[in-house]
Amino acid sequence: METLYSVFIDPFVQMFELPDFFLQVLWEGLVSGVLYSLIALGFVLIFKSSRIFNFAQGIMVVFAALSLVGLHSFLVPFVGNEFVAAAIAMPLTLGIMYALAMGVERMVLRPLVGQPDIILFMATIGITMFLIGFGEFVFGGENKVMITEALGIPTGSIEFEPFGGFLLLEEKDVFAVVMAIVLVVSLLVFLNKSAMGRAIRALGDDHTAALSVGISLSTIWVLVWFIAGVIALATGIVWGARAGVSFALEVIAYKALPVLMLGGLESVSGAIIGGIAIGLLEKIFEIYWGQPLFGGNTETWFAFIFALIVLLFRPQGLFGEKIIERV
Amino acid sequence: MKHFANFSKVVAAGALAVAMSSAAMAADGLNFPNLTYRTGPFAGTGTPIMNGQRDYMLMLNERDGGIGGVPVDYIECETGYNTNKGVECYEKTKGDALVTQPWSTGITLQVMPRTNVDRIPILAPGYGFSPMSDGNTFAWAFNPPVSYWDGAYMILDYIAKGDMSSLKGKKIVLLHLDHPFGKEPIPLLQKLSEMHGFELVPVPVGLKEMQNQSAQWLQIRRERPDNVVMWGWGAMNAGAITEAVKTRYPIENFIGIWWSGSDADLQNVGAKAKGYKSISFNVPGNYPVMDDIRKHVVSKGKSHVKSDADLDTVFYQRGIILSLYLAEAAKTAQEHFGVKNINPEQLRWGLENLNITEARLEELGMKGMTPPLQMGCDNHTGHAGAWMLEWNGEEFVRVSDMLKPDRELIKPLELEKAAEYAKNNAPWPGRGDLACN
Repeated sequence: METLYSVFIDPFVQMFELPDFFLQVLWEGLVSGVLYSLIALGFVLIFKSSRIFNFAQGIMVVFAALSLVGLHSFLVPFVGNEFVAAAIAMPLTLGIMYALAMGVERMVLRPLVGQPDIILFMATIGITMFLIGFGEFVFGGENKVMITEALGIPTGSIEFEPFGGFLLLEEKDVFAVVMAIVLVVSLLVFLNKSAMGRAIRALGDDHTAALSVGISLSTIWVLVWFIAGVIALATGIVWGARAGVSFALEVIAYKALPVLMLGGLESVSGAIIGGIAIGLLEKIFEIYWGQPLFGGNTETWFAFIFALIVLLFRPQGLFGEKIIERV
Repeated sequence: MKHFANFSKVVAAGALAVAMSSAAMAADGLNFPNLTYRTGPFAGTGTPIMNGQRDYMLMLNERDGGIGGVPVDYIECETGYNTNKGVECYEKTKGDALVTQPWSTGITLQVMPRTNVDRIPILAPGYGFSPMSDGNTFAWAFNPPVSYWDGAYMILDYIAKGDMSSLKGKKIVLLHLDHPFGKEPIPLLQKLSEMHGFELVPVPVGLKEMQNQSAQWLQIRRERPDNVVMWGWGAMNAGAITEAVKTRYPIENFIGIWWSGSDADLQNVGAKAKGYKSISFNVPGNYPVMDDIRKHVVSKGKSHVKSDADLDTVFYQRGIILSLYLAEAAKTAQEHFGVKNINPEQLRWGLENLNITEARLEELGMKGMTPPLQMGCDNHTGHAGAWMLEWNGEEFVRVSDMLKPDRELIKPLELEKAAEYAKNNAPWPGRGDLACN
């Protein structure tokens, strides 16, 4: 009876009794969800255009963030101003991500054209290993501080007293949500309205048909890997602003896996809605059911179980394409 | 093509010569492998420590020609703090190794049974399995200068201001990594909780949640604990301290174990974390030994540190202390057995009979840097004690006198768990044919 009460009644009583706390849980879940969506977007874009599951997306987040912070600390003594150094470091980091996209296309993808998907997947594991070693060699393994203030990201907090309680929003979290929305809208406009965007979608639909109408595979792959690099940089900035820049950022890429299972690997809107849904649900579950009933840390597995349940009913994910193959 | 073939032969011959000379050097020197983690999620903790360990050994080579005139072969094998890779590294390096330094509680537990067979001592300073202190059960394992259970006791003793009964009715959260390391203090804390009537609330942090601990800190906000004790490693520390500041938790009531006290972990929040504390068995400072390291290693461009300021950090200097234990144990063994090139068994004896006195620390230019340490047959930890450090907004400073663990309370639990381990891993050799002398 006590168990039934703690599963079906007590969580809702708590939500009702402490509404300010419940709002805080919802906000933290939303922020986590937006950040998961950002990571998942990087995976989706590359999969959409090349059918490659990019295992390197997590380390690209680390590499982009380390490049930005490393370049900034290198430039500060020369230019003598934190903000100017950040303004120079940002385009230089984008340049590095573009060079990485070119390198991946030339040295990894192009020689493997026509190979089975699993070979390309293995190649992205190789890219991961290379970036871990190269990143450690160039930047070292120590924790670094994200250049939050030099980038103009607000660092204060906004406090409310809803229902006579206490609700706190970190300005950098608000910035993360706004930036993610801007990035996603820009991406959707680019994919749907521009010629290049249509080419990416065409390539995702049918490689052979797209090539037959003159779409350049190399150009699109470089572009897509570059956009994934930009998303990785944005992810690195917002996650790095929360808890510093280190190789631990790579681990957060695994949080995108259930998002992809839920949203579908080909769907941009699936990545966004899936990410936000998982962020919110796992936070609510952890606070009201996970900690009292399972001793906490249910965020490690909740999202996977939830995604598996969804897959039982929709094997292609919530927004994935239902593919019928005729034999 | 012919030129290319000749060139290849020259390169191959050169490589062979270098390999042979390296092997010869390895055989001549004191082979001290270190299973490092300079990459991966925990690199932030590992890198400064490994830099300190490496630089002290390099300094001994440069200044003294090694230990007792024998150069040290300090070899790193990268594990990324991954247990499987750690076991691989152990197997790869054990050939000429005099010791193994596994660098994670998970790896330590995995390689411990193998070291009994391979007869190689494990040196796990400040980490590993607390019952390793019982040398009669774990003859080849050493975890100086204090164990996790010692650390847990000393932290509570500090919170209680020396009167454990004052903890009655209090609520203490243990924020810990969900990993063998993070769970290590739980048995002792549960025992203390039952004895002294405080409520213990363990709050686990998963590997993937280290950088986003909002759920854990929402729970802490709801629980309203009197104190939060952290058993964190790597990126978990910065994540927790950032969330503590964000949620307005009284930072002065937040105390970390010695692996949760790296200067780098505090940089993200800086002055906002003023008052955060971490227990430590070393106190950072400008000791004479640091001048030798600057002179013989750093100024010659042989160190991996990025800036001179890195030399003043808690973790870099802790790395020096950890290498000190190994170097002094090797020296003890050389002097006792009258040989320069000692073997693993002799080094094991050196560790068991290690006695670093106050006078010896002064001689080494390390007085006040770390407590004196003496180990023994039934004491493979030394239980030397530790100090409480506090973050003043820019650096860690000492804020307590030496804290000591209550050995009368902890030792029976160590013996009980050691016996349980031996029973579960039967036939466990224990001390076997190794005499205690």
